[in-house]
Amino acid sequence: MALTLSQRLSFQRFTRGEAASQHVILNHRRIFILPSKAGLSLALIILLMLIASINYNNSLGFVFTFLLAAAAQTSTFYSYKNLSGLHISLAKSPPCFAGDKASININIREKNQRMRWQISASHLNQQQSFNLAADEQTILCLTAPVKTRGWYQPETITFSCSFPFGIFRAWSPLRFEQAILIYPQPIDSGHPLQTTIYDHIGNGHSSTTTGTDDFVGLKPYQTGQSYRHINWKALAAEKGIYSNVFSAEQSKDIYLDWQSCHNLSTENKLSQLCFWILSCEEKGLSYGLRLPSVELAPNNGHKHQADCLKQLALYEH
Amino acid sequence: MNTNTTQLQPSLIKLLLAIAGLLIIPHIGQLNPLFVSLAFALLVWRGLCLYYPKLLPNKWLLLPLAILLGFIVMKTFGMAFGRDASSSLLIILMGLKLLESRSERDAQAVIYMGFFVLITPFLFDQRIELAIYAMLVFFALLFALIINNSQSNSLKNPALLRICGSILLQAIPLMLVFFLLFPRMIGPLWSMPDEQSAVSGLSDQINPGSVSNLALSAETAFRVRFINQAPSQKELYWRGPVFWETDGQRWVLNPPRKKSFQRAVNWPEKTSDYQYTLMMEPHKQFWLYALDSPTSAPDKVSLSADRQLLLNTKLSRNLSFELRSSISRRLMQLNKEDRERGLKIPENTNPKVLELAEKWRSISAEPRNIIRQALQYFNREFYYTLTPPSLGSDPTAEFLFETKRGFCGHFATSFATLMRAAGIPARLIGGYQGGVYNQLGGFYTIRQADAHVWVEVWLAEEGWVRIDPTAAIAPNRIEHSVDASLQRLNGEINFILNPPDGIRQWAQQLNWVLHSIDFYWQNAVLAYGPEKQHEFLAGFGILDWQDMITWLSIISALMIGLSITVFFILQRPKTDPVQQAYLKLCKKLAKKSSTRLPHETSSNYFARIHSYYPEKVHQLNILNRLYLASRYGRVAGEKFIKAAAKLKI
Repeated sequence: MALTLSQRLSFQRFTRGEAASQHVILNHRRIFILPSKAGLSLALIILLMLIASINYNNSLGFVFTFLLAAAAQTSTFYSYKNLSGLHISLAKSPPCFAGDKASININIREKNQRMRWQISASHLNQQQSFNLAADEQTILCLTAPVKTRGWYQPETITFSCSFPFGIFRAWSPLRFEQAILIYPQPIDSGHPLQTTIYDHIGNGHSSTTTGTDDFVGLKPYQTGQSYRHINWKALAAEKGIYSNVFSAEQSKDIYLDWQSCHNLSTENKLSQLCFWILSCEEKGLSYGLRLPSVELAPNNGHKHQADCLKQLALYEH
Repeated sequence: MNTNTTQLQPSLIKLLLAIAGLLIIPHIGQLNPLFVSLAFALLVWRGLCLYYPKLLPNKWLLLPLAILLGFIVMKTFGMAFGRDASSSLLIILMGLKLLESRSERDAQAVIYMGFFVLITPFLFDQRIELAIYAMLVFFALLFALIINNSQSNSLKNPALLRICGSILLQAIPLMLVFFLLFPRMIGPLWSMPDEQSAVSGLSDQINPGSVSNLALSAETAFRVRFINQAPSQKELYWRGPVFWETDGQRWVLNPPRKKSFQRAVNWPEKTSDYQYTLMMEPHKQFWLYALDSPTSAPDKVSLSADRQLLLNTKLSRNLSFELRSSISRRLMQLNKEDRERGLKIPENTNPKVLELAEKWRSISAEPRNIIRQALQYFNREFYYTLTPPSLGSDPTAEFLFETKRGFCGHFATSFATLMRAAGIPARLIGGYQGGVYNQLGGFYTIRQADAHVWVEVWLAEEGWVRIDPTAAIAPNRIEHSVDASLQRLNGEINFILNPPDGIRQWAQQLNWVLHSIDFYWQNAVLAYGPEKQHEFLAGFGILDWQDMITWLSIISALMIGLSITVFFILQRPKTDPVQQAYLKLCKKLAKKSSTRLPHETSSNYFARIHSYYPEKVHQLNILNRLYLASRYGRVAGEKFIKAAAKLKI
């Protein structure tokens, strides 16, 4: 993808970096290099050495002054080489809850048969350094605090190094387009879990689910049901796999309903629903979700929970 | 994992201590021993802290210590901050900074100071050995920088050493360009305090014993390369300062007056003149040496009536001069003032000396005869030695009538006094005689051991004539150089008598090699100052400093551009030949058919284009099989490359 001149010279390209697709190989287009603070002090030292050499008209003084300056210049190649050719991709980053820290997992691979020294990756104020041996790969985990639900777009991740002399800083800003899903923060506003219970006819009425734990009997275990409900005693007695049946489950499915927390603000409603989903999943209940725009049929399990939470995260987004 | 707060690795501290020690070593003997030992003490302190961390000073101790040491330096050198003061201060500061170093940034600062300290010994001495030594220390400093910035906890790291070495090698071309083209300025940016440095060679005073101190020194005074032929060894009189005034004890050099420069005549150039390049070592004096006698003065040097070559300032760096000399004498006029100066004898001259001169004059008034008598007198009773007995308040008489043993200084001073007493104008000439020829480099090295003093007398028909009384006593001295390496204080004087054999011959050849290296070092590197740079660059049409800056920018930009190009060519991923041949084949096939889609395998593509090349189906199948075999099997790729090249469409 060629760049136009204005894109090429845009300041953002140097600070924020070009947008990166999933997988990036660092090359001259993405690596920039400038003297660091330590480099400027070295320049001052070289200047002093030059003045001393001029003043005493000292040939060997000139030799070593120029040698130092030339070595400093040459070191830029090695700074560049230390970064270039790295394969960088965002690994799958797990969703997280607002208020927590999102972890950005970065997969870094060296394929050029060179040892890489002291590369640091920074995101916002967080920084991590690593060495990478030839043909090695590593996964870095940078964390970022997230406040709001929805898709979280990580900021520019900057890879930098000041190897070998610490006088030049080579850096490569990367802006990955992959986003991390952020669920609402689970907050219990104290609402009782109002579930809409449906009988087979379909007339709904509300009731509290206090009787959930009442053991009613056994029924043959079906794959997909939570392991918690397996009746281990029966299994141990080699009677076969049965699952416990509780009163609430026997006839009713729980619906976590948007309407049931009507007096809360939108975000709080979502937080409350999120809390319920987590607690239902923990208890192994089968639950459904009903939002104004979408309805998920009752079920349980990891995938179902993720689906429900995703609906909450992206509600009206 | 923040990098700024990491502790320094002990291995890095050890490396820095070793480097600091190596940086101070060349200063031993140059700087005040107090400061050298203070600097070493600070290093030892830091070294002990590695094993007893409790010894590490805090800043409340370090700050007063730094102020105290700075005060001692100031007290010693005063406010004039020259090379001694700044070198002393730097090595001490380096030690203090090491004591204070805790973080990566401190180490970086210590290394930067190290780079500066590295060039300070050159202000005292620029020998090639020191340059090689400094190059090794420079490498170590670069390596320390790399260790510091890679946070490596071990120094045994071949990968980092390799990087360090290749950076150093790659830096050399750019350094050379800057060395050649960076405009050199004449004179210092600001005047530096006159340093108390040892003057080598002849000084501006001669007493009878002063030259014998030099006979043990193999140090080089200057080097000479003749452009055409060289005169014979015994004609190699290198004429320097001319002494007219004496107080009976010693002969003192008075700078020539302005009139003397106006009276000086440039002799016309002749084909029999000797032309040569003379490379002076900095001897901190105004005068130059030239083969007896120079015909004219080169640029920026003035010629006086008594044919001394004089500089405007004391020579403090290596410089080379193109000179012309003629050994044939020219008749000159002796004016009244010079005659008076050349006849003046101190009032306290011993009557015995005057008596002796009078005796010779009474035998024959002819100056030639008097000179012959005097030389015969020396030849009869005198003995040439490096360790003459010491003389008292009346050295001439004591030498002539009592001790009768002496070196060239004794003979020349007493001879000159005798001539004056006998009414012949005489003056004392300081310089060097002889020189060691280096067959490898084709140049003469004139060493301090060759220092010599002789006399010039005025003869009415001939002008100033060189008379060397030493030659009358020790002809060997004039025909062969003194062998400084074999000289013992109380032994016989050894001369270089050729030809040496066996091991000595090897030693001589090795010596030639070393001296040749040193010659080129002096001539090409150390003497490369404003004049030499101008001369060298003028050959390329680069005349002034603007040109130099322009060319410096152009050439360094080109070099950096070139290295970037080479760098990227080397970085480019290597495509393997089989894949290249395959892509080429696909392109060829695509001419008549459709191009290969990016996701298509070779089998799919070849199958798809069968319809375009119905007569080549068999060949394509073979190609496909070969390609796959080279990719996934053990068949060598050459077969496929050959077959692909053979395919004609």
